Amino acid sequence: MASIRQSAVPGSQESEEQQRIRFQTELEFVQCLANPNYLNFLAQRGYFKDPTFVNYLKYLQYWKEPKYAKYLKYPQCLFFLELLQYEHFRKELVNSQCAKFIDDQQLLHWQHYQRKRLTLLQEEMASQRALQQPPKEKPG
Amino acid sequence: MTIQISSQNEFNSYVSTHLFFLFSNLTEIFPSNVISFRELFEVAATPKSQQKPDAMDSITLVELVTMKDKEIKETLKLAAEQAEIQKTIDELRTEVDKRDAEIKHLQKNLKEAETILSTAIYQAKQKLTAINQANNRKISSEELIKFAHRISASNAVASPPTWMPGDPRRPYPTDFEMRLGFLGKVGDLPLNTPVLQSQGSYGEPMSSNRNTAQTEGTPTSSSAGWHSELGLGASGGNSQILADFKGPKTESEDVGFMSSDSSSSSLSSDE
Repeated sequence: MASIRQSAVPGSQESEEQQRIRFQTELEFVQCLANPNYLNFLAQRGYFKDPTFVNYLKYLQYWKEPKYAKYLKYPQCLFFLELLQYEHFRKELVNSQCAKFIDDQQLLHWQHYQRKRLTLLQEEMASQRALQQPPKEKPG
Repeated sequence: MTIQISSQNEFNSYVSTHLFFLFSNLTEIFPSNVISFRELFEVAATPKSQQKPDAMDSITLVELVTMKDKEIKETLKLAAEQAEIQKTIDELRTEVDKRDAEIKHLQKNLKEAETILSTAIYQAKQKLTAINQANNRKISSEELIKFAHRISASNAVASPPTWMPGDPRRPYPTDFEMRLGFLGKVGDLPLNTPVLQSQGSYGEPMSSNRNTAQTEGTPTSSSAGWHSELGLGASGGNSQILADFKGPKTESEDVGFMSSDSSSSSLSSDE
């Protein structure tokens, strides 16, 4: 943790290589926070009780700015990062049921667009079928 | 209009008091007329001998009657004039009512216009704040499209159309992807203690591992995107976390560490 603090101090004797490395590690780490199972893992190992770690999470919020956020592949991590700022959430994450619930909800939300599209297509097909049926009945 | 109305009111009150006075006059005159007429008939009917000693002369009685008659005629003339005035009063009153109705109508229109304008101004203000907000945070459309492509192409924000329960793909980096990533590679370094000690110098001890990390990183093209666009390098900063990250891999089953298989099987009940 102390080594992280060293590397997280901005602008003090950091070479470009070190800055690049720090960027890459923090990018990966912040995106790992999108994984509720990983959050549960961290909670159960007591990382969330460490004030240094909590400060690190607070520091990671710079990823919300557009110039940094454009490098993110999993933007849901920002949502979890914001939730992790609250102590209550960090405490709740120790339960694996909590993590599981979050995981389920996340997956359902992930599928939301496809589901919506599917229902829209089904409605469209049903309406088209309804339109085709009356002309068929007329000649008969 | 208000001035006219007050004068109208005064006129009304004047006329009403005058009418009352006239009416009371008439009611006073009629009984005295009746009395004088009765006395006249009494005097005319009875002969001179049977007359009462204090009865009035017929001449004075007749004079009295004619006087009363004149008074009645004058009062009636006055009444006719008053009737004329009353007609004009009524006409003026209808005019006033008409004007009142017009004023109310105009007031309603004014109120409607005010509400419409206030809503228009409110919406315009909202638009202005939105414009200012947009101007403050400008983003080029190309960057926006690049970002949108990055997060959608890898199915990070929307599930793939053929996704079924049991599919290992997830909206977050899975443990497998994490291990393949930069942070995962750093944890594979055999020497942890020299890394911790040499916090200031990130160079030498890691140089031997740098190439291996790079070569291992390139085959994983699907997950390489999320690490960064920059080149891979070695880091000693996060090795503390990674040591713990990699350490309890064997214990992961007990803790329920990133058990994506179990979560997917339980999710099947939702579908």
